[in-house]
Amino acid sequence: MLDINQLKINLGQQKLSYHQQINSGDIVTLQGVSGVGKSSLLLCIAGFIKASEGSITWQDIDISKLAVEKRPVAMLFQENNLFEHINVFKNACLGINFTDSASATRTITEAAEKLQIADQLTKMPTQLSGGQRQRVGLLRTLLRPEPIILLDEPFAELDSYTRSIAANWVASIAKSENKTLLLVTHQVEDVETLADHNWLMT
Amino acid sequence: MFLKFSNISGLICIFCISVVTLMAFYGLIAFNQQGADLALLQDSYFHSILLFSIKQALLSAILSTVFAWPIARALYYCPKLYFKKSFLSLSLLCFVLPTLVLITGFVSLLGRSGIISPFLGEDWNLYGMQGILLAHVYMNLPFAVRAFHNQLQNIPDTSWILARQMKLNRWQKLCVIEWPALRSTISLVFGFITILCFNSFAVVLSLGGGPQSTTLEVAIYQALKYDFNIAEALTLAWTQFFIAGVFFVLLYRSNSVAWLAKDSNKKNSLPQISNTNKAFFTLLYSGAFCFMLLPLLALVPGLIATSYSLKLLANVFEALIMTLVLGSLVASIAMLIAYCIMLPIRSSLEFKKPHIKNTLQWFANHTLIAPAMVLSVGLYILFLPIMDLDALGMIFVVVLNVLMVLPFAIQQIRSRLIQFDHDYLVLSKSLKLSFWKNLSIEWPYIKPAILSTFSLVLLIAMGDVAIFSIFGNDNLKTLPWLIYQYAGSYRINEASFASAVLLGIYFIVLIKIERAQSHA
Repeated sequence: MLDINQLKINLGQQKLSYHQQINSGDIVTLQGVSGVGKSSLLLCIAGFIKASEGSITWQDIDISKLAVEKRPVAMLFQENNLFEHINVFKNACLGINFTDSASATRTITEAAEKLQIADQLTKMPTQLSGGQRQRVGLLRTLLRPEPIILLDEPFAELDSYTRSIAANWVASIAKSENKTLLLVTHQVEDVETLADHNWLMT
Repeated sequence: MFLKFSNISGLICIFCISVVTLMAFYGLIAFNQQGADLALLQDSYFHSILLFSIKQALLSAILSTVFAWPIARALYYCPKLYFKKSFLSLSLLCFVLPTLVLITGFVSLLGRSGIISPFLGEDWNLYGMQGILLAHVYMNLPFAVRAFHNQLQNIPDTSWILARQMKLNRWQKLCVIEWPALRSTISLVFGFITILCFNSFAVVLSLGGGPQSTTLEVAIYQALKYDFNIAEALTLAWTQFFIAGVFFVLLYRSNSVAWLAKDSNKKNSLPQISNTNKAFFTLLYSGAFCFMLLPLLALVPGLIATSYSLKLLANVFEALIMTLVLGSLVASIAMLIAYCIMLPIRSSLEFKKPHIKNTLQWFANHTLIAPAMVLSVGLYILFLPIMDLDALGMIFVVVLNVLMVLPFAIQQIRSRLIQFDHDYLVLSKSLKLSFWKNLSIEWPYIKPAILSTFSLVLLIAMGDVAIFSIFGNDNLKTLPWLIYQYAGSYRINEASFASAVLLGIYFIVLIKIERAQSHA
């Protein structure tokens, strides 16, 4: 279980508070008006923002004091998810421990085909559209071994058809790998397609 | 988290270079237990060299900066000037040109029997303030031109489109667009040139005319070499260290100067300039081109007049190999140390510890203000009774040259590494990349900057004379030292030939730098 216990974050004048328990393997969508603190919560769970009070525990272990590198978390940011100077395939492999290059190629290609970006793998990130870039980041984040997945508006730049394909792929991987997934979205259809629970922030 | 293994390697490097400096000063202080000669501070001789050191440094910086601005504007507003790329490469060459090559060229051109001296009137004298200023401007004006031009290139097209749409006049464009783009760089360039000229040694030694035209650095050398007056040398060294330190602290509060960057950002919306302006800019550009080319072309008569014996060729070849080996060794070590030193500096930025960052940077760059002559002599005195410096002197040549080029190496790679962290640190941490994995991702990003900095550092190290003059070995002489020996025994033709060979090598390395930049 991911237990967000009386967590408080100070962002300048703004004070944000969170309290929530999420079962292992659940997919939770986060909704709320802009500025309510959805992204800040994800960044805090990932370790990029310090909480002023409270704790975050995962399977009864407090992870809120751990360094970013030690947390069982993989995160997709709203933007800047790719290294611009290396190609898409190399970007997709980062953070994943493949046994050999053949398995890396196989796994990445299979996932890329499902997300309809297989023909983009040899390109540089600058040659990709916003939606294609987002799907590369999404692919990598879901294939990483960490049990907690945080996705910050992962489908924002996708058309409705591609959004549906990507959302279904995310749901299938999350369920088959038993990932605990928190996903920020403004779209009701994402909640309907993916969510076990919807956390409406106010 | 700050004290992780990679950061410790950088801290050890900073500690080691600081220890070398401390040992050098200890060598001077401990010799005969003499302290500094504080009475010298009241002496009119001291006042005159102090005044001259500051005056020549400030004048050199003012002249270089003031003249560089219109030339940089000419390059910017007239992008189709002939040989513009060669001009920018030549600018780089002028900045790193070994001083002795330049002096040989200047003497052939403007010396007592120089090619154009008869046209300059009877009062003309290359030696003294005017010669020093000329040489300093020659070396630093092109650097300033590159820095300003680079900064102007960064003005976005949209600014010019907006200015046109708002019908801004020429003065308004200057105030609203051009000046804000250049303002910070002008002060940085000015400060940097001031430090370089304040610490200038070979130019003042060669072109200074007696006590009236002596700087602190040369006075230190004279106090040690001719009078062996350690107390006086110490007072002068501390003064030099203090004043250069003040300049340095003021300078290092700001960012580094971008001048080695490629000629990028093709401009599509530059403001139209009148034909009169175009003619003025072309004239200015041609004048600057001639100014930079003439001392190099002045080597040609010497080349023609040289009698090329097998011995001469063998001497030059041997010295060339020695120069390349020493230079490559120095550059490789300096790059490795510079990268290691940047690790804790980057971490201090990451953890938002500006005081630690500034302290580390100060220690890492302190050799920019520690006179090479003082470090060399201090270590020489310290180690002379302990080891055979004739046999082991080359180790000191390498170590001290590494120390001298380190600030340049750090300054050049710093902005690229910090840019990488700015763009990708959060992503790298999120992906939990190991140090080596991160390095493999970082490498393609920093490779052009590393290669061009390596080449630049190689060129600076290959031009060294000051350190070699103390620790060098006549059996293993470098090309600049060979030029010095030829010039010292009035064999100007041979000196010209050796200078031309060195110039050729510099030119090849510069082409490599420009290529590396164009792939950045």
